[in-house]
Amino acid sequence: MKEDNKIHDKFPLIFFIFIGIFLGLFFYVIYISKAHSYLSDNSETCVNCHIMAPQYASWNHSSHREVANCNDCHVPHDNFVNKYYFKGKDGIRHASIFTARMEPQVIMIRDEGKQVVHNNCIRCHENQIIDAKLSAYVPQHHKNFEDRHCWDCHREVPHGRVNSLTSMPHAKVPLPESPLPEWLRNNKSKNNNN
Amino acid sequence: MSIKNRKIGKLILLIVIIVAVFILGLLASRIMERRAEAVFAYSPSGDISKFEPRNEVWGKDFPREYESYYNTADTNFLSKYNGNGMIDMLEVDPRLVVLWAGYGFSKDYSQGRGHFYAVVDIRNNLRTGGPTGDDDGPMPTTCWACKSPDVPRVMNESGIANFYKGKWARLGYEIYNPIGCADCHNSETMQLQISRHALIEAYERMGKDITKATHQEMRSLVCAQCHVEYYFNENIVEGSQYLTFPWDKGFTAEAMEEYYDNLQFSDWTHKLSRAPMLKAQHPGYEVYMTGVHADRGVACADCHMPYKSDGGVKYTDHHIQSPLNNIANSCQVCHREETSKLISNVYERQDKIIQNRDKLEELLVRAHVEAKFAWDKGATEEQMKDILIGIRHAQWRWDYAAASHGGSFHSPVEIGRVISTGITIVQETRIILARLLADLGHNKKIEYPDITTKAKAQEFIGMDVEKLKKEKEEFKQNLMPIWDKKAEERENSWTKKNP
Repeated sequence: MKEDNKIHDKFPLIFFIFIGIFLGLFFYVIYISKAHSYLSDNSETCVNCHIMAPQYASWNHSSHREVANCNDCHVPHDNFVNKYYFKGKDGIRHASIFTARMEPQVIMIRDEGKQVVHNNCIRCHENQIIDAKLSAYVPQHHKNFEDRHCWDCHREVPHGRVNSLTSMPHAKVPLPESPLPEWLRNNKSKNNNN
Repeated sequence: MSIKNRKIGKLILLIVIIVAVFILGLLASRIMERRAEAVFAYSPSGDISKFEPRNEVWGKDFPREYESYYNTADTNFLSKYNGNGMIDMLEVDPRLVVLWAGYGFSKDYSQGRGHFYAVVDIRNNLRTGGPTGDDDGPMPTTCWACKSPDVPRVMNESGIANFYKGKWARLGYEIYNPIGCADCHNSETMQLQISRHALIEAYERMGKDITKATHQEMRSLVCAQCHVEYYFNENIVEGSQYLTFPWDKGFTAEAMEEYYDNLQFSDWTHKLSRAPMLKAQHPGYEVYMTGVHADRGVACADCHMPYKSDGGVKYTDHHIQSPLNNIANSCQVCHREETSKLISNVYERQDKIIQNRDKLEELLVRAHVEAKFAWDKGATEEQMKDILIGIRHAQWRWDYAAASHGGSFHSPVEIGRVISTGITIVQETRIILARLLADLGHNKKIEYPDITTKAKAQEFIGMDVEKLKKEKEEFKQNLMPIWDKKAEERENSWTKKNP
């Protein structure tokens, strides 16, 4: 009894209540921001922010859909640490800008990201680049790829050339749906029908 | 530490926690706001009801698709053989009049205009006659089946089999809006969907489930609701001219011919030769499926409704038209050749196919005229039996090739093959005919009729076109305004959420 009183004396009940609220809200934020999904490599994760819908839709209509997800191109794959360091850094930047509503009308890739994507082009297409036949077909190829990025010439790969936020209205994209659990949504619509 | 200091420390800690909870709450609220945007930002307003037939209502939510759809009203493009204007095909090729003698198509047959004109053109066409009331006229209600997004609405109200009952004029006031949004799209999700049951049923009879079709397949299947060979089956539901696709044995001319032969079905009896004829409607989808583009997984929409970019927005061009009028967005997406080169590649195929089609056409006219001559000479049913079947099969093959607009490009090899079998059959038949005529005492050439113009050809088969035109005029003055008035009244009575 005496011990309890001591703790109670040190931290009154109101602290526990507020700490409880804090923790509850913290988990709620994790849940509604789908924070856990960022550990995966699913391309669906990238449209957690709906402004990425045009990028998702153009990728989903491209041949790369069959072989590469967003992370295959947009995060480095040289080593495990670097991958998650870059992913975390980029992800937090994106999430902050989106949450603060600071996104530009046209999203452009930054220099750091360009380097990552360029290296990833080479990672998969290495054999095509050093292919002797290609040098014969496209005489300038070897010279050209030393001073520019792949997509400076292969401009449609894979997102196309039109890339404003409004470039693909009504595109079919797996955007996050209502965070309410099914039973609660059903309950709501039942009430509406009544 | 004094008691007072400890109390202040606790108070500060409490305030820090309160502020942290408050800020975390703001963050949660912002995340929720942005998630809620996703629900609205990329989806329609949801004010379109399930069977909304008015394209303008859909157009409010989808202005780009709607406005490009509206371009199907254009009639200025002419390709070498077709285009989007109205071409009187009987005038261009009067032999058609003789081939279809005794059947509606000999009255009036034009190259179709864009979807925008679907209802106007079927009303104006002489084939639908000049009905004076609900139960009058030569055609059944089934002729409306492909003309309008009002069709699924009425089918939903009355039932499918009931829709196909009665005369064409019965539903004149119901079918009002031209082919459009609701024919292919789900009003809630905008996904492609099949609105015509004939296609679903044909798939079922082939043991396939159309709901399992991929999106790319759907981009052709929505077209296959109408651009296919079909017939009216009277044996499914009594009194109902039930729209049916003859696909049970396959898509080829031979497979459908066998299907019809087994049923002993004929569309009409030829006025000259008395052969039990088949009219191929427009097996566009079936022929396309035998071609190389289909084999490579290209869908109808890829060429006839390619993607386009407008003001930074990429969307599907709903101006459904000949790719020859839009080479850049259709052919050149895959083929790196000059526009003129690509067009000449198409024309070359069309030119070569039509050479043999023309020959087959002439031979068929001869066969019909010679068969009539044989009847006039006193030939018996028994003697004529094989000849009439030969004419039936040969003309079916000709029509399969001729009626599938675009067939000579969609699948030149298959169309070339079908026409060549038609030529063989009709010539074999004419050999039997020649022997029969010799037996009947006539061993000379029978003169080819003078059918150099549409008027001469129609006179040759004994048709009174002036009478048909007069009936049509009366219909347009008397009944058509009533239909329009009723339709407008109906649509004005709908609230936003109706029908």
